[in-house]
Amino acid sequence: MKPDMADETALVAQLATGDRAAFECVYRKHNASMLRICEGMIRNRATAEEVVQDSWVAVLNGIGRFEGRSSLAGWIFAILVNKARSRAQRDGRMISFESDGEEDGLAAAFDGRGRWKDMPDLWETITPDRIVEGRNMLAHVAAAIDALPASQRSVLILRGQQDLDPSEVCAILNISEGNMRVLLHRARLSVRNSLDAILAGSRS
Amino acid sequence: MLSCKEVAERASALIDGELGMFDLLQMRLHLAMCKGCSAFVRQMRITRDLTASAALLDDQRADEVDRRIAAILSRLPDGRHTGP
Ligand SMILES: [Zn+2]
Repeated sequence: MKPDMADETALVAQLATGDRAAFECVYRKHNASMLRICEGMIRNRATAEEVVQDSWVAVLNGIGRFEGRSSLAGWIFAILVNKARSRAQRDGRMISFESDGEEDGLAAAFDGRGRWKDMPDLWETITPDRIVEGRNMLAHVAAAIDALPASQRSVLILRGQQDLDPSEVCAILNISEGNMRVLLHRARLSVRNSLDAILAGSRS
Repeated sequence: MLSCKEVAERASALIDGELGMFDLLQMRLHLAMCKGCSAFVRQMRITRDLTASAALLDDQRADEVDRRIAAILSRLPDGRHTGP
């Protein structure tokens, strides 16, 4: 188990007694990510906000049943994804996080012998705070994540931002570990490609 | 010898520390000789790190957060979440 398990047990106990500050802490940590994943699945902001709110209500009502078999975050995101799935089904859409079948974002980057056609740039001028086209690099990254297909977006957020264990991510999205790695890699490539295009634009 | 394309395909596994010994050695061998792939792996590390940092972007205003939390708490059974 992770070293912060003891903290998490204390946090869960606080949530169970109805501690508002504890809830606000958990809410701030996960809410934006929940909304991003949900909007990727539902494709409607207002409905996604409803589903996220329903999920928080379910989390607080069900916290007494949380047994620590997964992390608290894993448990919360599982509730969210299940609710978003049911909502999409009710609206007549099936959600699957299996690979999206897309080519990866580097298909055109290599010649016939697998060598770079154009040398990748060193990205020496990139910093999180650097402003290009009116916003900083972190905002560009957030926009690039929002443009990903739901499967890649969910994996990138759960694994690359919320830092859930691979096994938890796979269980929540119902995908294999190999599949998760492909999706994570493709998601990163897309974000990398957007950043590269933005930086190239700022040089010319 | 891995091609640049094969190196790029393994870049996430490399930066996530998921390669076995043999693959890792092959990658290191290629990266030692190839500026393009070294630059690409660097880009992927930066992308991974910026992605993690972007999670901390606080895009919700404090009063908005308060309003949403109140909306959630109001839907719970009476007597819960009235504490400090
Ligand atoms: Zn190379």
